[in-house]
Amino acid sequence: MKKKIVSAMMIAAMAASMFTGCGSSASSESTTSTTAGEASTEGSVSTSDGSTLRINLASEPTYLDPALNSTMDGGALASNSFVGLFMFDEDSNPVPALCDSYTVSDDGLTYTFTLKDGLKWSDGSDLTAADFEYSWKRAADPQTAADYSYLFDVFAKDGDVINVKAEGNTLTAVLAAPCPYFLQLCAFPIFMPVPQAAVEAADPDGTNPGAWCSEAGFVSNGAYVCTEWKHNESMVYEKNPYFYDADNVKVERLEFMLSADDTATFSAYNAGDLDFIEEVPNDEIASVINNEDFHVDEQLGNYYVAFNVNDAMFDGMSAEDAATLRHALGILIDRDYIVENIGQTGQKVATAFVPEGMSDGNGGIFREDDYDYPDADSKGYFSAEYDFEAAKAEATELLESIGYKFNDDGTLSDENPISVEYLINENTGHQAIAEAIQSDWSSIGVDVTIKTEEWDTFLNDRKAGAFSVAREGWVADYDDPINMLEIFTSDSGNNDPQLGKNPENSATLEWSAYDELINQARTTTDFSARVDLLHQAEDMLMDTWAVVPIYYYNDLYMCKSNISGVYNTKFGTKYFMYASID
Amino acid sequence: MNKYVIKRIGLAIVTLIVISLITFFAMNAIPGGPFDSEKATSPEVKAVLEKRYNLDKPVVEQYFIYMKNLLHGDWGVSIKTGRDIWQTMSSSFAVSAKLGGMALAISVVFGVVLGSIAALMRNKWPDRLIVFFTTLMTAMPSFVLATLLLYVFCIKLGWIPVWSATSHNYLLPVISLALYPMAYITRLTKTSMLDALGQDYVRTARAKGVSQKKVIFKHTLRNALIPVVTYVGPEIAYIITGSMVVENIFTIGGLGQKFVTSIYNRDYTMIMATTMFLAIIMVVANLLTDIAYKCIDPRINLE
Repeated sequence: MKKKIVSAMMIAAMAASMFTGCGSSASSESTTSTTAGEASTEGSVSTSDGSTLRINLASEPTYLDPALNSTMDGGALASNSFVGLFMFDEDSNPVPALCDSYTVSDDGLTYTFTLKDGLKWSDGSDLTAADFEYSWKRAADPQTAADYSYLFDVFAKDGDVINVKAEGNTLTAVLAAPCPYFLQLCAFPIFMPVPQAAVEAADPDGTNPGAWCSEAGFVSNGAYVCTEWKHNESMVYEKNPYFYDADNVKVERLEFMLSADDTATFSAYNAGDLDFIEEVPNDEIASVINNEDFHVDEQLGNYYVAFNVNDAMFDGMSAEDAATLRHALGILIDRDYIVENIGQTGQKVATAFVPEGMSDGNGGIFREDDYDYPDADSKGYFSAEYDFEAAKAEATELLESIGYKFNDDGTLSDENPISVEYLINENTGHQAIAEAIQSDWSSIGVDVTIKTEEWDTFLNDRKAGAFSVAREGWVADYDDPINMLEIFTSDSGNNDPQLGKNPENSATLEWSAYDELINQARTTTDFSARVDLLHQAEDMLMDTWAVVPIYYYNDLYMCKSNISGVYNTKFGTKYFMYASID
Repeated sequence: MNKYVIKRIGLAIVTLIVISLITFFAMNAIPGGPFDSEKATSPEVKAVLEKRYNLDKPVVEQYFIYMKNLLHGDWGVSIKTGRDIWQTMSSSFAVSAKLGGMALAISVVFGVVLGSIAALMRNKWPDRLIVFFTTLMTAMPSFVLATLLLYVFCIKLGWIPVWSATSHNYLLPVISLALYPMAYITRLTKTSMLDALGQDYVRTARAKGVSQKKVIFKHTLRNALIPVVTYVGPEIAYIITGSMVVENIFTIGGLGQKFVTSIYNRDYTMIMATTMFLAIIMVVANLLTDIAYKCIDPRINLE
């Protein structure tokens, strides 16, 4: 019998040796430096040799072409491998990059940029103003089908083509109306140059505009070039010696882990295999929130709840009564609870739609403007201090004012029930917030059903207005309130509350005045008046109670304590090019 | 045999056409589309993209265009990323097949060996140990096992990096993929081996004085392998096309996650490609299983 076992073990051993021959060594370098999950305030240090930064932003990027990118992680990849006329500094202000100097005409319509001398692509060829003219026209062309092509709507047009012209080392852009955030746009990925020859060679018939950079090795002009791309596994970016500011790029190599599994990335960070992670699992936040590695930055965006103004729950009501019903439900959301127990990362309770810290387009901060806000203390529309019992009493009073009857126990009478379906996409955080709202609203007898949908179905239903109440979120692309407010114009594809989309419905407010306010803000030459117009638009939006802001977003990440120079903008773009590892 | 193979190939083609039809119309019936995103795509951009990928045409016409291109060897490009489907599929399949192939080899070799040991040493401690181990492994989902391995070997012991851009280690993902089929094959082998050991021809062989080694390898094991082959055939198709769970946990760019992400993204061309690819592999694996029966037991009549 022993012989049998030995022969069986030998077969197994042979199989094992075959296997190890095929795979890589099990004892390859390990860089463990900390233990996972331990609540500690002391940061951990990168075990990198100083030349490589190992990063996780997200999973496989959809496009590396800066013109076609529409994601935040893609924006960060673009900003570290391409550079435009301007880039964002640590305070999220646009500062000249490839632009040496610029002038603006007195009417604010014509920008003339002079490029720095000796600019090069990563293959050593010359980068000129003509590359910008080509790239901007390409990005604005509907045939390129770039998601962000609408950002070129600020340009004046010659026929269908945007008015931008290169001459020698200068680039002249003519706008349709003065645009207070135009220099910010010049730092946005879609305004970065792309190499014409490579783009056209990879896509001769113009049907696949992103083909030129769908694999590693493409030409770029930023701090790094993508030299290796194992799809869904890793990307390697190496320093571009032709980058205009290459002398200040200290880290030679960036390695990106392509994963959206926050448990795996958090494990890799704790094991010392990553130096920077963009996500922390919700369950782990409490264990790292006081850690030196943990960072929370403000972000220009907010989490909000949208009511579909055309929903059957408002049928037969006047527009004012429908707004009062939404008002009653809106104030009955305990934002403090959500922020403290679900958000957990110090988010600020939102008291208005335009987030704190957003510029007003006239040199000031929108929320700090001298304006007559409904709640002067919070400079918003409701108090930041929340008192649930007071809110409940006020909600009851509001509902009674539009004819709702209540039982003695404070719940709605059976004569006038309110049933609401709250729509979310699959996510534990959204689920927890939905349950909190369900609990809040049920305190006065509102029957809330939570409907969870898969992401694409959710997006489709929300855009089509096939919902009663839905969770929403918006992060600004640039630092101007119009980017938050123009999503609610009647013709906007992002107007999920459906404001102004069905003017025949008597339960919805006349919305053309809002459209007009936004339109005036887009075209006015007086930036001071523009600020006022935007405040009026926000007033009008908040009066509908079709959107109920919950909290202003913030952006968390973890970075090893011996790394400096990595910075994040208010739009969530991370810059690694000036990092150094001590 | 040849006639049988030709008949099976004919049937396979019909099967593939039916699968393509069902998949194509089902994916078009589900809500949403490839150009949906949190920030809405403008109608102008959407119109250009729909035209580019023929999505502006009736669904039936889209199907015929797709099948015509496919028959010409053109799998198209991913609607979501613009990347060539065939290139994407072949590179990710190479990774999945490498991992799956290793996992399969381990599971078959160890499964048969351990199953044989358990049968030959029935009710003794090696048998009990193997039964305990296989019960545990069949009960443990791969994501639990993968997470456990990651925690122990990468985080606690630090022997293997969780992730590395320069030296990807396939040891843990292969173990995660291999243990369940290995445990299953062990149990199958043990049961059928016990059955074979009790057969008259084994008793006769022993009575004739045939050596124990010959009894096991020539008479018992060969007959005991038929149920194993039945299981391994379709398992080949599943294991070499990857596992989303294991690929996600160990950050492996295999084919497994594409089955799921393509549906989430409504990436129609990728959904069709992954489904048709799996269907082709499944059909081929089943055919090979049948042929393997014939090789193991010549008495089986495939006609």
